[in-house]
This record gives sequence, C-alpha cells and structure tokens, in this order.
Amino acid sequence: MPSSDLFLEVGLSHYLVLSAILFVAGMAGVLLRRNAIVILMSVELMLNAVNLSFVAFSHYMGQMDGQIMVFFVMTIAAAEVSVGLAILVSIFKRYKEVNIRFFEHLKG
Amino acid sequence: MTADVFLFWFLAIVTLAGGLTTIMITNPIYSALSLAFTMVGVSALFVTLNAYFLAGVQLIVYAGAVTVLFVMVLMMFDLKHEVTAFTRGKISGMVKSGIVAVLAGILVGSISLTTDIFSKSGAAPEAVIGGDTTKELGKVLFSKYIFGFEALGILLLMVAIGAVALARSKGGTHAKQ
Amino acid sequence: MSHQTLMAILILSPLVGFLINGFRYKKHSAELSGSIATGAAVISFIAALLMVIDLIGLPPEERKIIVHFFDWIAVDRLKISAGFTIDQISAIMVLVVTGVGSLIHLFSIGYMHHDKGVAKYFAYLNLFLFNMLLLVLGDNLLVMFVGWEGVGLCSYLLIGFWFTDKEKAAAGMKAFVTNRIGDAAFLLGMFVLFLTFGTLNFQEINHMVPTTSELTWLAPITLATLFLFIGATGKSAQIPLYVWLPDAMAGPTPVSALIHAATMVTAGVYMIIRLNPLFLAAPNTMAIIAGIGGLTAVMAASIGMTQWDIKKVLAYSTVSQLGYMFLACGVGAFGAALFHLMTHAFFKALMFLGSGSVIHAMHEEQDIRKMGGLRKYLPYTHLTFLIGWLAIIGVPPFAGFFSKDEILWQAFHSPRGHWALWAMGALGAVMTAFYMTRLMALTFWGKSRVPKETHPHESPWIMLLPLIVLAILSAVGGWVGIPHVISEILPGQPGNLLETWLEPVIKSVPGVAEGDPTQEWSLMGVSVTLAVISALLAYHFYVRDPSKPKKVAESLGKFYELVYNKYFVDEAYFGWIINPLVSLSKGIWYYIDVNFIDKTTYVVADLVRGGGQFVRGVQNGNIQQYAMYIGLGVVATMTYVLMR
Repeated sequence: MPSSDLFLEVGLSHYLVLSAILFVAGMAGVLLRRNAIVILMSVELMLNAVNLSFVAFSHYMGQMDGQIMVFFVMTIAAAEVSVGLAILVSIFKRYKEVNIRFFEHLKG
Repeated sequence: MTADVFLFWFLAIVTLAGGLTTIMITNPIYSALSLAFTMVGVSALFVTLNAYFLAGVQLIVYAGAVTVLFVMVLMMFDLKHEVTAFTRGKISGMVKSGIVAVLAGILVGSISLTTDIFSKSGAAPEAVIGGDTTKELGKVLFSKYIFGFEALGILLLMVAIGAVALARSKGGTHAKQ
Repeated sequence: MSHQTLMAILILSPLVGFLINGFRYKKHSAELSGSIATGAAVISFIAALLMVIDLIGLPPEERKIIVHFFDWIAVDRLKISAGFTIDQISAIMVLVVTGVGSLIHLFSIGYMHHDKGVAKYFAYLNLFLFNMLLLVLGDNLLVMFVGWEGVGLCSYLLIGFWFTDKEKAAAGMKAFVTNRIGDAAFLLGMFVLFLTFGTLNFQEINHMVPTTSELTWLAPITLATLFLFIGATGKSAQIPLYVWLPDAMAGPTPVSALIHAATMVTAGVYMIIRLNPLFLAAPNTMAIIAGIGGLTAVMAASIGMTQWDIKKVLAYSTVSQLGYMFLACGVGAFGAALFHLMTHAFFKALMFLGSGSVIHAMHEEQDIRKMGGLRKYLPYTHLTFLIGWLAIIGVPPFAGFFSKDEILWQAFHSPRGHWALWAMGALGAVMTAFYMTRLMALTFWGKSRVPKETHPHESPWIMLLPLIVLAILSAVGGWVGIPHVISEILPGQPGNLLETWLEPVIKSVPGVAEGDPTQEWSLMGVSVTLAVISALLAYHFYVRDPSKPKKVAESLGKFYELVYNKYFVDEAYFGWIINPLVSLSKGIWYYIDVNFIDKTTYVVADLVRGGGQFVRGVQNGNIQQYAMYIGLGVVATMTYVLMR
C-alpha cells in the first residue's frame, strides 16, 4: 500500500487505530495515575475509545447494533461515573484525600 | 486531499492530544478540561461516521454532564496540596508502561493485519450507511432491544438512589466516627 | 379386620403410647401416664390374641401369618422387607410379651406412684414393648436386630432410670457395653449367614439348611451359629457376658420383672429356637451351647445362695434359669426351651413383682437380713410369692415342674445330651430349691427383723391384681405341656398340647429314640426328691436354726468367700480385660494419635499456612496493581490468540 493512500484514503482501520491509541492511553492513565478522580477520567477515556470503534464498525458494516451498544455503554458509563464519584466523595469526607493509596483497605 | 479526509486527520489529532493531555497533566482541572476536548472530538468523529444521534448524546452526556460532574467534585474537594501525579514504584511503573506499550503494539498490529478482511472482502464501501441513521436507531432500540432499554432505566434509578446514599454516608464502610 | 391392620395395631400401639408419654414427659400424674401406657399395651395384647385365634383356626401345616408392609432395603442381592410373621413360636412369645407386659404396666402404676419421672418411665416401657415386638415378630434377622438393639437401648435407659445415682447410671452403662460385645458377634453371625445363604429371611434360611450336619469347626454354619450364640450370651446373660444382669437390678423393680426376667433376656433363647434347623446342623455349636447353659445354671445358682439383696438373688436365679433354657437348646429340646421360657416368664415376673411389693412395703429396703416375718403384714403378696416359689423349685403340679423336668429328661435322653448335662441341671435344681427357700424363709417366715421405724403395709389392689393373675398362670401354666408318662395316668389322658402345637416348626434331633418310661419316672423322682430335701434343709437352716448358716459358711471358709464375691468375675474382667484395654488405648492415643496423626496434620496445616502467607503478598490492596494483573492477563491472552 503506497504511502499516499495511507493519508488520502481514510477507512475503517484508521478509526480503529485511533480508537486503540485512545484506549491504551486511557489504560496508561488507570495504571499510572495516583489521583482517583483522574483515574475515573481515564476510565471514561477508555470507554470513549471503545465507543468510537463500535460506531466505526457499525458505519462500515452497515449494521445498527453497534450504535445500540454505544448507547448502552454511554448510559452505563454515566451511571458508573456518578457512583464512582459518590464513593470518592464519601472517602474524601473521611480522609480528606483522593490518593488511590487510601483505597488499600481491600487488603487480604 | 478531500474535506472528509482533512476533517478526520484534524479530529484525530485533536482527540489524541486531548486524551494524552488528560493523563499526562498534573493538575486535575486541566485533565478535566482536556477530557472535555477529547469528548467533543469523539463526538465530531461520530458525525463523520454519520451517527448524528450518538454525536448529540455524546455531547450532552459526556462533554456536558459527566465533565460538569467531574469539575464540580474537583471544586468541592478544594485540594490544597498536590497529589503525587504518578505511581512511585519504579519497577511496577516500568512494568505497567511496558504492558501499555505491548498492548498498543499488539492492537495496532492486529488491526493492520486484519482490516484487509473488512475493507476488501466482507463489507465493501457500498455497504456504508449513508444519511441520517437516527430513525433506524430508534426503531431497533424500541423493538429488538426494548428489554435492555427498560433494564437500563431501572439501573439508572438504582444508581441515582445509590449515589445519594453513598454521598450521604460519612466515610464508607470503614467509618468509625 | 385384615391381618395387615391387626399387625399394624399390634406393633404400633406401644409406639403411639411412647410418643404420647414422650411428649408429656414432664407430667407427674402416674394415673394418667400409666393408663395411657397400659392401654397401649392392652390394645397390643388384644390384637395379638385375635391374631393367634385366627392362627389356631388354620390347619396345623399352614399356621403362619405373614404380613409384608414394604420393602425396607433392596441393594443388589440384599433384599430386606419390613415383614412380620406370626407362627407357632412367635405366637407364644407375642402373647407372653404383651400379656405379661400389660400386667407389669398395671403394676407400675402403683409402684411408680410417687416418682417424678413417671411419664418418662412409661414412655420407655412402651418403647421397650414396641422394640420387643419388632424382635419377636420380625421375619428376618435384620428386623430382629433392630428390635434387639432397641430393647438394649430401653434396658439401658431403664436401668439408669434413676441416673442421678452414679452407681445406677454406671450399671446402665455396664449393661449397654456388655451387650454391645454380644451385638458385634450377632452382626458377624448375620454377615456369615448372608454370605452362605444370600438371605436373612428366617423361612428361607431354615429351608436352605442342608440336611447333613457339619462336623468341622470352621464350616460356615457352625461359625455363624457360634457368632449368633455369642450375641445371645450378651442379651441373655450367659457366661461369659452375664455380669451385667445382676447389676441391672439398679432399675425400678417392674423393669427388672419385665425386661430382665420375663422378656428381653429371653431374646437369645428365642433367636436360637427361631433358627432351630440351622443350629441343629451344627452339632459343635450345640455342644457348646449345652455346656455353657449347664455351667451358667450351676454357677449362677451357687452365687444366688449367698446373696443378701432380694433382687440380686432373683437376678442370679434368672441367669440360672436362662442357663436351663440354653441347656435345652443345646441338647436339641427347643420345644422344652420355649416351654420353660414361657413358664419362667410367669413365675419370675411374679416373683420380681412380689419382691417389688415387698420393697414397696419396706420403703425401698432390699436387704433380706432386715426382713423376716412379713407374712403377717403382706398376706396376699406372701401367698402369690409362695406359688411362685413352688413353681420355681419344681413341685408338681406347678408350672416350673413340667418345664424343668422336660429339660432335665431331654438333657439325659436326647442323642445330643449327656448324663453330665443332666447332673449339672439337677445340681442347679437342688441349689435353686435351696436359695429360693432361703429367700422365702428370710423374707416372709421366721421372726421379724424389721427395724422399728418401718411399718410394712400391704400394697394397693392395682399392684396385687397382676400378682394374682401371674400366680394363677404360674400354677396352671405348665399344664399345656404335660409329658406323656404323666398324662397316661391322668384321667382323660390330656395330650402334650404344646408339643403338638410346635411340631410343624420345630425340627427334632436326628436319631431320637423312644423314651423309657421307667427311666423318665426315676429321673423325675430323683430330681424332685432332691429339690424337696434341699428345700427342707434350707427351711431348717433359716427358720428353725438361724445360727446354723453362719457356722456352715465359716466351715467352708475360703470357698464361701469365693462364692459370696461372685467368683471374682467382675474383678477378673477388670484386671485382665478392661484395664489392659484402657492402658493400651492410652498408649495408642499418646503414641499414634498425639505424636503421629496430630503432628502430621499440623505439618500439613503449616504448609498450607505458609503458602497462604506467600500468596497473600500478591493481594496487597493496591487497586492499580490489580489492574496491572488484568493488563498482564489481557496481553498474555492476546499474545496467545495471535500466536496460534
């Protein structure tokens, strides 16, 4: 595939690669950041990346099911954010901290 | 270079920059801001893929509600001292970065290896959905996926109650006050 | 009513009584609890009577009512049905059990009047009756074994009924443990039988027994019968497992009468009679049974001559009489054994209840040295006891005479018999006459040695009624089995009813010769004369010349000591069996259990704990690390998928 094609003909793989990079960036955020709020944001980033690939597949394969899935993911993501933030608020009330270090009560 | 192609590249750059900034920058407020940028970029990408309804929802739910929620919580916390931005452990940090890099490589590699199947054989560009898909989306959502839709409604109700209950409690299950 | 219904009523009525009294076990009313229990027993008796009347209506060869309720166990070849049979043997047993049982229930109402646990007592008594019926009626060995264990349990519960007294509780435990040894042998016998015949049903086993006798010791039938006999020695108190019965007198006296004289202890004899074709096929076992029976009869009687506790005397007398029954079984006179079982149930229940009446009158005093001259205070008890006494020492025409004489004659005459067996039996009879007369003399006759503060009083009618009924039975009960030599000289020549009745189910010893009437008469005369002389001697010793027994005892010296202390059998068991077993168990506990098994488990536990400590480090609560593991997993999975 000549290089001009890569830039001039945008197809499914372009969207997928973009989605993959966004997803991996979000994952890096989840793994490496210490601020719990930022971790939540990174999770959102990962979800968005997945949404993007869903819509791209839906578009290029001519099926609506991908978009429905995005719709569901969005709803659940919104729910997840609200609950996650509520948990954060209650933890913050207790420790005055949002460092992920304070979540280590799950220790076995 | 057509307008479509230009638009894709422009949006890709904006989205990527936003995403990377979100995870790199130390100040959480800026993180939230760049997250909003990313959301808007993704929304625009949805438009280029003819998913107008989802683009709108994306704008309202993510760029609007979720970002506002984040910012509000950040404001409420009023962080006086800066949280250490990244994990301290060197080895685990390196392992984590390694995992991320390998995963990125695997994903991009596997996409470039497999897209030929999509572009060449199965779904030719003729199958691409054109025009507004909102009406069709509505039909499928309220027929085939009606059960999931209703379940989502219940889920949202429960989440609303749960979030209120959680936020009211003083310090979670370990509260001793 | 169909036989099925009747049989269900017969068996379940005591169980219902047990449940009712069991649920109201805290109630104190002896009248109510006793009426319920006695009612249950009487209903059972009536049902049994109706069934036996039906049985008599059948032609002699078909006299067998089999009721099959359901299949209890069906595994491969092992097929056990919950079936019950009434035939000629169990008919007699079931009438004795329910009839004497009902009378003793009635007696208990008066005897246990002041006891606080009276409802519990009657509940146990009914449970005993239920289990005894299972034992007697079951048509296979396993159902019998259920009853066998059940009566053992009830015996334990009732011996230790006043369990706050440590000694009485210990007596209960002794009975239970001793019986357990026998039960283990019984089980082994069942296993061998099942291996040999592939069934546990009585009819089938008795049909399958080969006609030729086994002459070796290790042949299956000999082995099985030996094991079963060991089981019988446990339940029926024979050497070497008789030691529990004298101690069992710790229970309430009606219990001693019902369980430890009339019914439960005869279970071993009953079992042997039930399987008589099987035992006949094993002459070696038969010889052992006869020997053990004779030996027990003599030994227990000799101990009985020296005891001072009224119930202990009767207990040793029971052991001795059971010895007679085994002697009869051993020489192949199963009919005589069943006959003696029946008459013994009458007169021994009578004597136990009489002693209960005496004990009741004496305010729980059991030492016969503190009695004497009670005839004045307890006329009716004395009269009934007198009949029991005449019956047991074998004075014609009372019940004991016929059955005991039949046994002695068979011991001499049967091909499996021997003159030595007859001699043991006769010696036992002489000693029986002596100790029974001694008991009578010390309790009822002579001068009163009753302490001044006790005022003996005659028992209420509810206790006297059973005594009178049993006295009548003891007097006339023997007439169903009048031997031919006597019936020939009687007007109307009454036949031997019992023998005719039992004929279809009891196999006779092969090669039995026609009896010589002169011989039979002379043997009968010898044993009766000896018994009467012995009784007169005892009368002389204990009424005319009370100082004499002491002198005789002193002149015997060490031998008297030996007999008085029951031949030190209990001490020997402790010294040679129980204590070594206990120390062996302690050794095994310390060296094997503590030092080996426990330590092994500790090592395993430490290994697991160490492994757990190590793995625990992974789960450190750091969520990001958990996420990292997820990432690692994803990478690994995708690598695997791509590489494939």
